[in-house]
Amino acid sequence: MKWRRLRTLMRREALATFRSPFTVSVLISVPLAALLIFGFVLSTEVKGLALGVFDADNSSASRRLVAELVAKETFIEKRYDTRGDLQLALVAGEISVGLVIPPGFDRDASGRGNTSPPQIQILYDGAEAPLAGNAEGFIRSLIARNVEVHRAPGADNSASRPISVVTRALFNPTLDGKPFMVAGTFGFVLSFLTVLLTAVSIVNEKITGTFEQLQVTPASGLEILLGKILPLGAIFTLDVVLMVLVAGFVLDVWPAGSAIFFVAVSAFYVQVSLALGVIISATSATAAEAVQKSVMFSIPLVQLSGFLFPIRNMPTLVQWIAEIFPATHYIRVTRAIYMRGDGPVALAPELGLLILFGVSLMVFALTRIEARA
Amino acid sequence: MNAREGTAERASRFWTNIGAVAYKEASVIRHDKALLATVFAQPVMMLLLFGLALSNKPADVPWLVLDRSRTGASRALLQEIEHTGYFLRPRPVAGYGEGVALLKSGRALAFVVVPSSFRRDLESGQPQIQLLLDGADPLSAARIGAYIAQVAGAFNLRPLPSTNPDAQTVTRGPIDIRQQFWFNPTLADNRFFLVGLAGMLLTNLCLAATSLGLVAEREGGTYEQMLASPTTPLQLLLGKLLPYVGLNYAVMLMATLAAAVFFGIWPRGSWITLLIITFPFVLASLSIGVLVSTLARTSAQAVFITVFFILPSFVLSGSMLPYQFMPEGIREIGAAFPLRWYQIALRAITERGAGLTDISVPFLALAVIFVVTISLARLRMNPRLD
Repeated sequence: MKWRRLRTLMRREALATFRSPFTVSVLISVPLAALLIFGFVLSTEVKGLALGVFDADNSSASRRLVAELVAKETFIEKRYDTRGDLQLALVAGEISVGLVIPPGFDRDASGRGNTSPPQIQILYDGAEAPLAGNAEGFIRSLIARNVEVHRAPGADNSASRPISVVTRALFNPTLDGKPFMVAGTFGFVLSFLTVLLTAVSIVNEKITGTFEQLQVTPASGLEILLGKILPLGAIFTLDVVLMVLVAGFVLDVWPAGSAIFFVAVSAFYVQVSLALGVIISATSATAAEAVQKSVMFSIPLVQLSGFLFPIRNMPTLVQWIAEIFPATHYIRVTRAIYMRGDGPVALAPELGLLILFGVSLMVFALTRIEARA
Repeated sequence: MNAREGTAERASRFWTNIGAVAYKEASVIRHDKALLATVFAQPVMMLLLFGLALSNKPADVPWLVLDRSRTGASRALLQEIEHTGYFLRPRPVAGYGEGVALLKSGRALAFVVVPSSFRRDLESGQPQIQLLLDGADPLSAARIGAYIAQVAGAFNLRPLPSTNPDAQTVTRGPIDIRQQFWFNPTLADNRFFLVGLAGMLLTNLCLAATSLGLVAEREGGTYEQMLASPTTPLQLLLGKLLPYVGLNYAVMLMATLAAAVFFGIWPRGSWITLLIITFPFVLASLSIGVLVSTLARTSAQAVFITVFFILPSFVLSGSMLPYQFMPEGIREIGAAFPLRWYQIALRAITERGAGLTDISVPFLALAVIFVVTISLARLRMNPRLD
């Protein structure tokens, strides 16, 4: 391997990349758009959900209950005059939650009635399962918190009170979805964009014939491989820095750990991912084939890497499959650095795996390039 | 007389031209093995993933327990938490510091601390437990917190073991909540995904097929050849899109049937409503593909634009996460994607058994998206060579 040859190859690659306005705009706009979109989509709080209310009691107690539920902007109240209307609205999808307060709620709540506790009925639109689950949790905790309010002053207090749970979330006290998604977005964007970009660029070179020209020069397979992935890797590292800055200044999400360590790990991961792109393109005859392979690769990338769905919730067999993707490990590392502030020591096992992936992928990519020569 | 014949002849030629282009396109599709593999492999893959593998519901949650009370009551509470089914067996820790360290290392998601005065407090009125969560996974943490709070909130409704065996078995609770989950009683996540599956598959198919197909044709020079033939650009476009409409319907029926047969999700509404709402959706998605093909100069560019349209449309439309969770602004962006409206309609028809009148809003929205994109595409399309 000659340094001078490698340098020429690298300069050529960097020039080719920056000369294409389309590639440059993809490199800038895709990471930024992904950050802004994904940063906001995941939320653990329900907001502005339509709550249908049929208040058959229409007393001060029932009105207070409804007022509490709508106080926090979680629900927007819609009143219905009959139970039938409420159910129709739920079926039509106009409301997500239906609350029925039966007559006698006030009487039971104040303890003036007999022994029965006050009762309410809540209907959820289970068609939006995740939404219904969160709304249920919200309503239950709200009603539990307001027990004191609804307990009549003179009522029997000897019954034990509900256990209050004092909750504290480490690393992320408000359970904000933003840092979780921002950290994951690095993994998603870098994995996908690198594979797609290398695959397309190499296949295009094959079509125009410049790849064959490279292969007949004295440059060795290793030089061709490094001449391809090192400059692209450097460009993607700039992308990482850009994303860190945008996430920090626009979304106010900064890594809890060392930003320099994070960029260093990302710079290495980008090389791993680029090697994968080289393999995909080396095994494809046409651009369309390379693209289809990259896209097929992106489906498990989004769904199995833990980017959107926790790996823990998957069946065991699928969990093993998920572990094969380098992206899974990189996403785990980014989240650990961004949220827990972990350093190299705590992350040693994951980093070791990434290095293992990187070396084996590069060796494989090398054999693919040399096989063609 | 002559003029009328001319009109009739022109009209019939209009349709034969479209038919000819459609026939040509259909045989191209039939021989495109890579496309066909995608068309058939993707639904199977997505069905397996969404039906069996993916869920937001916490499972096998590793958790830590520091039980300073060591009484029957504290053990009963911890057991009830474990019995919700979301948790593994709790791992006892010796001290607070050890628990926090384990939580910080990511080896557990939750840490429950029961104070030594728990039993006494339970009788005297202010029972409390402490819960520490790993906020690094906010979605799971929020749900785990809610489960534990539910168990704890319900705990006092039962008589305490051995306190007073003669006490009445049901103590008065604050408010008796009777709840029902309509349409999906177990709140299974896979139901949520599978109902929207057809929409995701069709989005992929429409965009990949049209945008790539049109650009490849331009690259290969066959587009120019067709322009030189007596077909007008409009006929060319319609003819090219027609076979894809058929392919889309085939995939839609396949996905819906598979979800029904393998996962028991039969549409509660009518199949005809499903077929009707699919039409404007397919048109809108195809027209976006056409627009992409007019914007992209090479097939590589078309792919980039397509992929980076497909992914946000999956996420922002509400197919994978409910769009109601998203903040204002992002929610409105999502409304520009045809998939948003299609998945609303799919959920309405499949889950709530909605009829035609119930889905008029999604229908109109899809029609508007179609008209706007196709007009934009027409503006961008330069029918002749420059």
